Amino acid sequence: MLRRILAWTAAVIAGVVLGLCSAWAVLKFGGSSFTEHYGHWVFSRAAGSTGADPYTRAIIAREGLLALSAREAVYFSLYTDEHDRPLSESCVYELNGRPLDARWWSVTLYADDNYLARNTDSAHSIDATRAGNDAAWVARISPVRGDTTNWLSSREARRGFVIMLRVYNPQRDFHPSEAALPVLTTVSCAGDTP
Amino acid sequence: MKWGQYVLGALIIAAIVHFAAIIAVPRVLMNVAMQRFGEDGDNVWHLAERITVASQKIVRSSPDFAYSACVYDLSNGPVVIAAAPWDEYWSLSLYGDNTDNFFVIDDREAHHGAEITLIKRGTPHPDGASMIVESPSTRGIALMRRLAPTASTYSAAADVAREDVCAAVVQPAN
Repeated sequence: MLRRILAWTAAVIAGVVLGLCSAWAVLKFGGSSFTEHYGHWVFSRAAGSTGADPYTRAIIAREGLLALSAREAVYFSLYTDEHDRPLSESCVYELNGRPLDARWWSVTLYADDNYLARNTDSAHSIDATRAGNDAAWVARISPVRGDTTNWLSSREARRGFVIMLRVYNPQRDFHPSEAALPVLTTVSCAGDTP
Repeated sequence: MKWGQYVLGALIIAAIVHFAAIIAVPRVLMNVAMQRFGEDGDNVWHLAERITVASQKIVRSSPDFAYSACVYDLSNGPVVIAAAPWDEYWSLSLYGDNTDNFFVIDDREAHHGAEITLIKRGTPHPDGASMIVESPSTRGIALMRRLAPTASTYSAAADVAREDVCAAVVQPAN
């Protein structure tokens, strides 16, 4: 009898642990199952949607709570560089963008916990009001500003970071594509041989 | 064979816990957000400080917006939500307690501001309300975004935000 009780107790504990771990794994790694990729940009049209399934809703709640529906805004995330390496504060990147068929856009740098990196230099984002939306623009992503006008600071990202592109009031002509979205290029990384 | 029932039991429990966790996550995170935004109580706007490292309350807040949030509670009847106009982009969006963005209106549709009466889905529509929106849940969050990427524009947006309204509709005495 005691053996049976112990066996059921172990089964319950194992079931709870397995259930929680699998849910955590889905939240951590499952985002790719409902996203679209444009180059290295990751896009989910389901953000904020009332038609989102429970998995989509849970993943977006964790990564982008209070996102707007796609009618109002679309969101793109960039986790890796052109060589598929995770974005790192030990590297300097250049982001080249073109005008977007939208009313306003912004590019923001978040640490890997999805909060603003703990920089004190107020260089968390650039947007269309500063960089313009009627001509090509370029921004530098680096720990120090240097001589650039449009700077996103990665100084205190510490464990890697993510770049987020917000596109507000996209026009009917706005169709996400690799060619339309900004292009990230690695300029250099600490430790690279010159 | 005996071990089979324990393995099967563990797998069934794992499936139940897995789906319960997936369904609970958005509601738990929304509850955390409602607690943070609702420090001043329900049905009242809370103007967020300019988004900085120190002031950010939820993941992926944009430092380019002046945010105001109102935790609405429809348990005692409708709530009136009014948004004062702003020269740049602004939007009023409503979120149910499961994170769904079930309503949004912006300055393209409401150039001179917006006023809505929010009711719980399935309850009678109040008389005289111009724009009625049905919420799928009793509680949720109304969020105002005003484009204000600099300190000076944030300050101006904050002044405008103080004219916003989020208040329970006073029910007539029987």
